[in-house]
Amino acid sequence: MIRIAAVGDVHLDEDVVGRFRPALEELPDCADVLLLAGDLTRHGTEAEARCVAREFGDLGVPVITVLGNHDHQCDQVPQVVKVLQDAGITVLEGTGTVLEFPGGRLGVAGVKGFGGGFAGRCASDFGEPEMKAFVRTTTESADALGRALRGLDCDLLVALTHYSPVPETLAGEPLEIYPFLGCYQLGQAIDSAPTALALHGHAHHGTERGTTPGGVRVRNVAHPVIKQAYSVFHLGDREHVDSA
Amino acid sequence: MTEQGTGPPDEYVEAEIHRMLVEDPDVAEQGITVAHRERGLVLSGEVESPHRREEILRRVSERFPDVPVTSDIGVIRTQAPSQVEELP
Repeated sequence: MIRIAAVGDVHLDEDVVGRFRPALEELPDCADVLLLAGDLTRHGTEAEARCVAREFGDLGVPVITVLGNHDHQCDQVPQVVKVLQDAGITVLEGTGTVLEFPGGRLGVAGVKGFGGGFAGRCASDFGEPEMKAFVRTTTESADALGRALRGLDCDLLVALTHYSPVPETLAGEPLEIYPFLGCYQLGQAIDSAPTALALHGHAHHGTERGTTPGGVRVRNVAHPVIKQAYSVFHLGDREHVDSA
Repeated sequence: MTEQGTGPPDEYVEAEIHRMLVEDPDVAEQGITVAHRERGLVLSGEVESPHRREEILRRVSERFPDVPVTSDIGVIRTQAPSQVEELP
């Protein structure tokens, strides 16, 4: 069994630094790893990333993250990533990593993801260049996640995204904005590998639990949804994943 | 044109406030709902600090001084979890 702590959408800036820290000090007692589901900052500035590094650095357990749409707002992604990496935080974008724990090898593949909508109610790669660019961003992001998931050799496989792979965990959000909150292609990517758990954020008014069409458990860990510093999942180790 | 001060806020005011809450760099909140009620607008949702809640109200009141606004915005708790979810 591997113990996974997770939270997304913490939107750090100076005014929030220190709020999570008391709970984070307890984290090594109850989790092997912390996964962050994007929107670490308010505007994606280097200064805000330093707040994230202060709050989520030096925890005593590995920290793995994807970025969210807020982390892209100021077009400082390379600087944000560097600050996080310098603090020892692993940043995934169409990539994966494997960590060894007493409970087994945990593989985490992550991507920010993108909107697009869900099966039968989604945008299509057709028409104006802007629409085609939108949908191609969706497709490329999901394809990158699928490749990263299938490329990991591990005992337990987790998918980490900011945007949602399923509509179930969006319940509570207005239906009209579902296409801006996630896309079915992420779910398809998750189902293309023996994924044990998929974690995402982004949907502040959504709900915690869902499953992909392939039966993979999905959890929305956006901070406004879980209403605590992080959630902890005890992930079983019954299945061996070998992509080779 | 939006009509202010002479009646209930119209949909354009709601839309403008909603966009301002996201696009104003001093706010940048995507999770605030703007609902039209009989006596004005109600802002609801949750933010990460009391400062952000105050800033939202200040910006909306500044921009729309004639629109009666009620706040029902909470600050998200950050306590450690008391339970875990078992996923065998």
